[in-house]
Amino acid sequence: MIRLASLLLILIGLYGIFSSRNVIKILIGVNVMELGVNIFIISVGFFKGGIAPILTADSFSSAMKFVDPLAQAMVLTSIVIGLGITALGLVFARKIHAQYDTYDLGAIGGGKDD
Amino acid sequence: MILYAFVLIPIIAGAVIYLIPKKQMRWVAFALQIGLVVLSIYNFALIRLYGPSEIVLGNFAKIAGITLRCDTLSGALIILTAFIFLICFIFGLMDKFVNNLFIFFFLTLQALVMTIFLSRDLFNIYVVTEVSTIIVSVLIMFKKDSRSMYDGMLYLITNIAAMTFFLIGLGFIYKIFGSLDMNIIGARMHEIQDAKVLAVPFAFLMTGVSLKCAFLPLFSWLPKAHATPSAPSVVSVILSGLYVKCGIYLFIRIREMFMPALEMDNIFLIIGILTGVVGFILAMSQKDIKMILAYHTISQLGIVLIGITAGGEYAYYGGVLHLFNHAVFKSLLFLSAGIIISKYGTRDISKIRGVFKKMPYVSIMTFAAILGITGAPLFNGSISKYFIQSGVKGGIVEYALILINLGTIISFIKFSTMFFGGSVKDRIHVAFGKKAAVTIMAIMCLLMGMGGTLVIRSVFNYSVSINMIEYIKKTAVYFASLAGGYLVYMKYLKKMKFIKEGLEMELSVNGIAISMTAFFIFIAGAAYFIAI
Repeated sequence: MIRLASLLLILIGLYGIFSSRNVIKILIGVNVMELGVNIFIISVGFFKGGIAPILTADSFSSAMKFVDPLAQAMVLTSIVIGLGITALGLVFARKIHAQYDTYDLGAIGGGKDD
Repeated sequence: MILYAFVLIPIIAGAVIYLIPKKQMRWVAFALQIGLVVLSIYNFALIRLYGPSEIVLGNFAKIAGITLRCDTLSGALIILTAFIFLICFIFGLMDKFVNNLFIFFFLTLQALVMTIFLSRDLFNIYVVTEVSTIIVSVLIMFKKDSRSMYDGMLYLITNIAAMTFFLIGLGFIYKIFGSLDMNIIGARMHEIQDAKVLAVPFAFLMTGVSLKCAFLPLFSWLPKAHATPSAPSVVSVILSGLYVKCGIYLFIRIREMFMPALEMDNIFLIIGILTGVVGFILAMSQKDIKMILAYHTISQLGIVLIGITAGGEYAYYGGVLHLFNHAVFKSLLFLSAGIIISKYGTRDISKIRGVFKKMPYVSIMTFAAILGITGAPLFNGSISKYFIQSGVKGGIVEYALILINLGTIISFIKFSTMFFGGSVKDRIHVAFGKKAAVTIMAIMCLLMGMGGTLVIRSVFNYSVSINMIEYIKKTAVYFASLAGGYLVYMKYLKKMKFIKEGLEMELSVNGIAISMTAFFIFIAGAAYFIAI
C-alpha cells in the first residue's frame, strides 16, 4: 500500500516535470517526486510489527524488532540534499524572474541573444 | 590515508582561500594543484606496487561503512583530474573573472570529482553527484549572463531528475542485496536466481547514469551546459574534458557490478553507435565554435561506449584509453577556442578568419588536438581508435566507427577553415600562461599517441601490441577519409541547407524528462526480456 502511494507520488512529480514550463511548478514536481522516492526508501527498511530504532530501556530487549535505520538515515540525507537543491533552484528562478519578468522557461529558452 | 587527502585537501584549501580575501591566494591554489598532481602520481605508484588501497570511513565493518577504494583505473582517473585542473589553473590564473569565490567552487568541484572516482558506495556516489551538480550549475551561471540562466536551469533540473531515478534504483538495490557497497553487491550478484528482479533497478540506475553520460536520447542538456556563452573556457574544459567522464566511469562500474547476472552490452552498443553518428551530424551543422566542440564530446562519448560494450579486451581497453585521450584533446580544443573567442570577440565560425596568421603558435598547438580527435597517425586518438577497431574487426561496428571518424574529419575540416584566409599580418599577443597550457596539452596529445600501449599496460596490467601492418592500413584509411571528407565537404555539404543554417535539435526540460522516461521504459523492458 505504502509503495503504491510512493509510486503514485513519483508519477505525479514526473507528470509535473513533463507538463509544465513554469520553473516554480517544475521545482514542485521535482520535490513531489523526491518525496515519493523518500517514502519508497523508508518502505524498503520497514517490516510489519517493526518499531522505531531508538535504543531505550523499553526497547532494549526487543532490538530484533527494529526497522532498518540505514534506510531512514539515507532518507534524512536525501531530504537535506533536496532542500539544498530546491533552495538553489528557487534562487535561480528569482534571478530569471528579475531579468525576464517571467517564470516560463519556454519563453526565455527561445531567444538567442549572442 | 592518501585517499582522504584527495577528498579533503581541495575542499579545505578552497574554504581557506575563500575566507582570506587576498589576491595572492590564487598562488596557494596553484601550488596545491602541483602538490595534488605529485600526490596522485605517488598514489598510483603505490597501487601499482601493493595493489588496490581501501579505506572504510569511520573504521566500521566493510558491509556497514562507506568505502573509498582506489584501484588502478581510479588512480589513473585521479591523476587525470589533478592534471586537468592544474592545466586550467595555468591557463586561467591571471584572468579577470578568477576571484576567490571562483577558486572555492573550482576546488570543491575537484574534490567532488575525485570522490566520485574513489567512492564505492552507491549512496555516497548519489550524494556527491548531487552536490557536484549544484556546483556545476553555479559555475555555468558564474558570469550571470542572460542566456546562461536558461542553460544552468536546464542543467540543474534535468540532472536532478536523473539522479532521482538513480536514487530509486538504489532503493531497489538496497532492498534486494541489503548493502550499497558496489564490490559486495557485485560479489553477491551471482546468487540471484531470477535476473528479472534486477531489470527495474538496473534500468533506474542506468537511466540516471546515461543522462550524465549524454547517451543518445538524453544529450540535449550537454551542449547547452558545456558551451554556454557566458561560462569561462576553463569551466567548459572541466565539464567537457573531465566531469562528463564521471558518468562514463559510473557506467563502467555499474555495468561491471551487474555483469554476472545481467548483461545488456548489445543494446548499449547500438546506443553508442547512434550517439556517435548523431553527435557528429549535429556537430557539422553548428556555427558556434564551442557548440561544435560540445557536440563532438557527445560523438566521442559514443565511441567510448562502443569500445566498452563491443566485447573483447582490446576494444574495452581501447574504449577506456579513448576516455583519457578525449580528456586531453578536448581540453586543448576548448582552451584554444577560449583564446580565439576572447581575441576575436565572436563565436561564429564563419566570421573568424586567419587565425593562423594572427596566432601561429596557438594554431599549431590546436592542430595537435585536431589531429588527435580525428585519429591521425602518431597522435593519441589513433591509438585508442585502433584498439577499438581491432576489437570489433569485421562486421558492421567497424564500418560504423569508420563512418563516425569520417564525420569527425568532415566536421573538423569545417572547423579548421577559420585558421586560413585573412591577410592581416598583425600578430595577436597571447599571454604566457595560456601558451604554456596549450603547449603542455599538445605535447600530451603526442606523448599519449606514442605511449598508448604503455598507458594500457600501467592501468590494466595488460600487454597490448600494435600490429604494424594493421596500423599502416588504418593510416591509409585515415588519409583516404581525409581526402574523401575534404572532397565531400567542398563539393556537396558546404552548400547543403542544414550545414549553412544549422540544425536545431534541442529539447526543453519537458522533452528531456519525457525522453528520459521513455529511455527508462525501453531499458527496463529490454533488460526484462534479456533476463528471461
